[in-house]
Amino acid sequence: MNTPAIDITNLSKTYGPTGAPAVDDVSLAIQPGTVFGFLGPNGAGKTTTIKIAAGLLTATSGGVRLNGFDVRTRRAAAMSQLGAVLEGSRNVYWTLSAWQNLVYFGRLKGMRKAAARSRAADLLTELDLWDRRHEKVGGFSRGMQQKVAIAAALVADPPVVLLDEPTLGLDVAATRTVKNWIATLSADQGKTILLTTHQLDMVEELCDRVAVIRDGRVIADQPTTELLSRFRRRDTYEIRVEGGPDQLPLLPGGFTAVRDGDGTTITGDVADPQQVYALVDRLRERRVVLRSLTQVQPGLEDVFMTLMKEPRHV
Amino acid sequence: MSTITPRAGSVANEIGKGLLDLVTGWREMVIQMITFPVFYLLIVLFIGRGQLRADLLAPVLIGMVALTFIHEQVNRVFWSYQGDIQSGVLEQTYLTPLPSALRILGRQVSAAVAALPTALSVLATGYVAIALNGGRLAFDVRILVPVTAIAVGTGGLALILCGLTLVYKRIAIITQVSVAVYAIAGGTLVPLTSMPGWTATLSRLFVPIAPGIEAMRNILLTGPHSGWGPAWLLLQPVLLLGIGVAVFTALERLARKRGTLGRY
Repeated sequence: MNTPAIDITNLSKTYGPTGAPAVDDVSLAIQPGTVFGFLGPNGAGKTTTIKIAAGLLTATSGGVRLNGFDVRTRRAAAMSQLGAVLEGSRNVYWTLSAWQNLVYFGRLKGMRKAAARSRAADLLTELDLWDRRHEKVGGFSRGMQQKVAIAAALVADPPVVLLDEPTLGLDVAATRTVKNWIATLSADQGKTILLTTHQLDMVEELCDRVAVIRDGRVIADQPTTELLSRFRRRDTYEIRVEGGPDQLPLLPGGFTAVRDGDGTTITGDVADPQQVYALVDRLRERRVVLRSLTQVQPGLEDVFMTLMKEPRHV
Repeated sequence: MSTITPRAGSVANEIGKGLLDLVTGWREMVIQMITFPVFYLLIVLFIGRGQLRADLLAPVLIGMVALTFIHEQVNRVFWSYQGDIQSGVLEQTYLTPLPSALRILGRQVSAAVAALPTALSVLATGYVAIALNGGRLAFDVRILVPVTAIAVGTGGLALILCGLTLVYKRIAIITQVSVAVYAIAGGTLVPLTSMPGWTATLSRLFVPIAPGIEAMRNILLTGPHSGWGPAWLLLQPVLLLGIGVAVFTALERLARKRGTLGRY
C-alpha cells in the first residue's frame, strides 16, 4: 500500500470550550489517484474536515497529512501538494481577468512567472477560455467563473485537489463540463481528488470510494461498488398493475401500493424473491392485469438516504 | 511541481496585483489627487484663521505628505483585506507555501506606490502656495529616509489591523479612528514640540509617522532640531514592523483556531 495522498487521522474539531464536536474522531486514508466522494447532509462536518485538510482551520486533535507532509507542522510542504475549490466562495478575484488570476495564483503557489504564464495558457486553452482570457471574471457566467476557480486551483499542478461543492449553482451544461474535467484529472493526470457534493449521481459515476459523515462521525467508508452492493442484499421490486389499489389482495409486509395514473404501483423491499413471486401469483388469482415487474437497483442516493435513517453504522 | 521561487517572488506578486488594482481604481486616485491638496489648504486656512500663512504652509505640507502615506497604506490595505474576506477569496490566498504576512507587506509596497501620485499632488500644491506667499521650500534628498521610515512603520500598523480583521471582522471603525488619532498624535498639524511632553513621548514611541515627520521638518525647515535623532528614526519603524508581524501571526493563529479566517 502506498503512502496515502490524504491521510486524516483521528481528526476532531470543537468550536469553543463547550461546543459540540463539528468533527469527531474522523480517520480517512485516501490513496493516490483516487476520486474520493465525501458525503453528508448540511452541517455534518464535510467542510470543516476539508478546511482542516487545507490548513485553514486548526484541529482540536488529530491531524492531516498530504502526501506525507503534516499540514500543521510542515505547512509549506503540505500546501505545495494542494489545490482547492472551496464551497460558497468566489475563489478568484472578479476584478481581475482570467489570465491575471491564473498568473497571480500560480505565483502565489511559488511558481516562477514564466512557468505560471505557460501553465495558465494551457489551462485556459483546455477550458475554452483562451479567447476571453483578458475579460474580467466578474463579467463571466457562473459556470465560466467556476471553470476559472478550478483552473486557479490546478495552476501549480498539485497532486491533491479538494473540491468542496464544485458544481454548486451550476447549470446542467456547466456541471457536465466540471464532471468531465474531474474524470480527466483522475484518469489522465493521476490526481487524488476529495470531492464533496450533493449530486450523488456524479459521485456514483466518478468516485472510486465514498465516505459518509453524519454529525461529525464517519458512518461509512467503502469503495463505491462495495457500498452499493452492501445495500443490495435486500432487493427492491416494483410491480405495476392496471386498476386502482382497491382491487388488490391484502399485501404482505414490506409491500406498499400507490395509485399511479390509471394503474397502481406496488413497491416491495424484500430479502427473498420468492415473496415477490408469491405476490404475483396472488395478483393473477385475483385477475389483476400486470403491466410490468422490475427489480430496482439501489443507487447511491438510496444508500445515502438509508444511511441517514439508520441509528448506527460501520 | 513547478519550481518554488524565493519569498521575494510572493512580495513582487502582491505588488503587481496591488498595482493592477490601482489601475482599475484610477478614478479613486484622481479624486484623491484633487481632494487631498484641497484638504491641505483648508487645514492651513483654519489654523491660520482664514489666511494661507507662509509659516504654516511648509510644516503642514510635510505632515500632509506623511498622512497621505498612512492613509493609503492603512485604508487601502485594510479594505482590500476586508474585500478578500467578504468575497471568500482570502481562504484561497492562504493555500500557499508562503507566509501570509509577506503578502500583506507586498500590498504595503503597492499601497506606498499608490500614495505617490497623491503625495506629489499635495507637494506640488504646497510648493505653489509657498512660492505665492513669498516663501521657498528646498528639496533635500535626505527626506527619503524619513519617508521610507514612515512607510515601514505604517506597515506594522497595517499588519496589526489586518490581523484584528481576521478575528473580529467589523473593525472598520477602529481603522478610521486609528488613522485619525495617528494623524493628530503624529504631529501632522501640530508639531510634537508644541504638545505636552508625555504626549510627544508616546507619539515618538508608538506613532509610526511621528519620528518621520519630525525628521522631515528638521531636514527641510530651518529652526531648532527636535526628536530623538536618526537612530530612533530608523529603529522605531523596524520595531513597529516586528511587532506588527508578531501580532498578525498570533491573531492569524487564533483565526485558524476559531474558524474565522474566511468567515464574515
